Amino acid sequence: MAQHEVHHLGEHEYSYWPLPVGLSVLLLPISFIALMVWQKPMLALVFGGVSLVLLLLGTVGWINEFFSKGHEEGLGLPAMMFFIVSEVVIFGTMFVGFYMARVSQAEVWSQWVPKGMNLTIPLILTFILWASSATIAFAEKFFEMGRNTLSALFVLLTIVLGTAFMVIHIMEWLHLWHAGFTLSSNMYGTSFYMLTGIHTSHIVVGILTMIVALYILLAGKANQHKGHTYIKAITLYWHFVDIMWLLVASSAYLIGSLA
Amino acid sequence: MAAVSYKPYFSAGLKEWIFTTDHKKIGIMYGVTSLLFFLIAGLSALAIRMELYQPGLQYMSEDAYNQALTVHGVLMQFWWAVGIWSSFGNYLLPLMIGARDVAFPRLNALSYWLFFAASVLALLTFLPGSQIRMMWTGYPPFSLNDNAGPVAFYALIIHLLGASSLAGAVNLVVTNLTMRAPGVTMKKMNLFLHSFLAMNVIQILGVPALAGAVTMLLMDKYFQTAFFDPARGGDPLLYQNLFWFYSHPVVYVMILPAFGVISEIIATFSRRELFGRTSMIVAIWGIAILGFMVWVHHMFTSGMPDWIRILFSYTTVLIGVPTGIKIFNWIFTLYKGSIRFTTPMLYTLSAIFMFLIGGLTGIPLGLPAFDIAVHDSHFVVAHFHYVLGMALTLAAFGGFHYWYPKFTGRMYSELWAKIALVLIMIGSNLFYFLQFIVGLEGMPRRYADYPAIDSWVRLHELQTIGAMILGAGVAIAVMNLLLSTKLGKKAEENPWQSPSLEWLVPSPPPPHNFDKTPHMPEDWDPYNYEWLEKQHKRQ
Repeated sequence: MAQHEVHHLGEHEYSYWPLPVGLSVLLLPISFIALMVWQKPMLALVFGGVSLVLLLLGTVGWINEFFSKGHEEGLGLPAMMFFIVSEVVIFGTMFVGFYMARVSQAEVWSQWVPKGMNLTIPLILTFILWASSATIAFAEKFFEMGRNTLSALFVLLTIVLGTAFMVIHIMEWLHLWHAGFTLSSNMYGTSFYMLTGIHTSHIVVGILTMIVALYILLAGKANQHKGHTYIKAITLYWHFVDIMWLLVASSAYLIGSLA
Repeated sequence: MAAVSYKPYFSAGLKEWIFTTDHKKIGIMYGVTSLLFFLIAGLSALAIRMELYQPGLQYMSEDAYNQALTVHGVLMQFWWAVGIWSSFGNYLLPLMIGARDVAFPRLNALSYWLFFAASVLALLTFLPGSQIRMMWTGYPPFSLNDNAGPVAFYALIIHLLGASSLAGAVNLVVTNLTMRAPGVTMKKMNLFLHSFLAMNVIQILGVPALAGAVTMLLMDKYFQTAFFDPARGGDPLLYQNLFWFYSHPVVYVMILPAFGVISEIIATFSRRELFGRTSMIVAIWGIAILGFMVWVHHMFTSGMPDWIRILFSYTTVLIGVPTGIKIFNWIFTLYKGSIRFTTPMLYTLSAIFMFLIGGLTGIPLGLPAFDIAVHDSHFVVAHFHYVLGMALTLAAFGGFHYWYPKFTGRMYSELWAKIALVLIMIGSNLFYFLQFIVGLEGMPRRYADYPAIDSWVRLHELQTIGAMILGAGVAIAVMNLLLSTKLGKKAEENPWQSPSLEWLVPSPPPPHNFDKTPHMPEDWDPYNYEWLEKQHKRQ
């Protein structure tokens, strides 16, 4: 506990960054409400813009402070595990919605399956994500061996694979949407887009965390205990997102399109 | 005790408050916000009672009445019954385990600011055109109706609160599991900590279910999805199931910490280790696990096969067993203890009394036959106001008074605290007990009006009078607590003579809590009062 003398000065009892992040999260729903409830698109735009600026400012400051101040105890890994447990429940709600409809509407379900639905694209997407799970595992291994540049290379590769997954997936959505299969056509459309959409939002978050990981690895912060915790935690998160894809794809595509 | 002088937190400036990551300041910020919303919710309850004083509509339109009900429900549930425990947990948990702060101090600050963001959103619902009237349950299809107001407010408030609770819960669980000082073992942890651990685990598992449910609500209203539209294969029951999958366990999120507070106070003022401490811990986890298996009892009239109703009726009644164990343990702790009837102890004993009435009326409500008869009546309202309204509030106020010297370094006025308690007990029992009776006679809940039956009018008049007495009692208690921060006399370091770790640091605690990580000896235990006496003798 070398830092104890510092604690007496109260220096570690404050940080500028949680407040701007908190305010940006406040402005986001207000922007949504301004658009949808108050019907004031300009106001929504202003709130949304300010929110985005605050969010960027807050997170950049936060990440910077994370590595420059002796604040944390390096307990990110258990926290990530608990967070993943709650994520499973979030996905669970959408699965409940999907399967309740799949079972109770079994008779009409076959009419809801669009013509353009096929299993080739989800199969390609699955292989991409499997590959990315392998690359992030390599990145972690190399990082543990102390080869940071090589590790950064594999993180970059994972980002590329994640982005490819996203692009192909969005093209697939557009294709289905134009074929008349939309969010509001029926319960299959609703639960299909919600399941895959929530999953893709996790891919986006995963990619953002990996961009930060690149910075950590290349700026030489990674050998600190904290950098280590961070890489381990986001690797765990990415594996979770990959495993979730198997459940999402096998439900939304496979069980969904079996008439 | 502190080697270096430090500034007590109440003399901190605004800048030191809004940029703080100190768990104690954050705890106080949670407490102040929570109490403020408790008072707003209380005032809306008094408005509801005024409207029900006489049959017919006197003061409010039906829309205004629905808004008052919604505001009362949402604020009381999420800001008071859940929020107030964030305050206690933040302030006390690191102190009780001998840590200098929580595991993620910045995340902790962010949790508070998300709670604050939800508070701002809640206040915005008072704007014209933004009022929400969908009740705290937000059931579709009613909540998707334009009469119910913009569901975006309801859903987004719950999203913000959910994010806040989730971050807070993860933070506190990790802190509790990994940052305990040497000698503070799982076995020697305060029961307060055990109940907070269980409560936060429930939050981690439950909050996302509600978040998912309101996301569906939001999508259905603004993006025309089909979740709750039977014409396109949706099902409104999906919402009810997901909602109660969280919202039943959440009553244990509310009441388990209250049990924790009650356990601490009972042990201290009986000067005895709690009777059956292991069975207490088992009971806490029993309640937490069983809590996830009973949600359907909120939906006995929603249409389902009988065998499901019977199954959930069994699990519901089963949950009475661990709850009963806890009450018996408290009573046996009192038995042959050297009891001191201090203010916190009186609040706690009142809380147990109220919980007993609420709990015993809950058991028949778990039986479908009875439940269907009184479903959506004032009987149900009275039941959950006994358990959550009164037992929880009395335990929270007991906690306020018990830890007041710790929070502020001062003592409150004993006299006014006791006057407040007497008023609260008279008012609430007059109010809620008659609510049972009028409920059994068939008065439905959520109605602004009722037929002018003589006995009903009489019962409603008395209930309103009771509510006013209750309101006066709460107001006096809160005023006493607020004014005593300035007027109260200086408190001793350890006024209740408890060996629990939070009492072994100065009051109010220094910013870093402990000068160095405490190493607790083998014979120390938060309930070993002889250890404390021995320490005193040694000094």
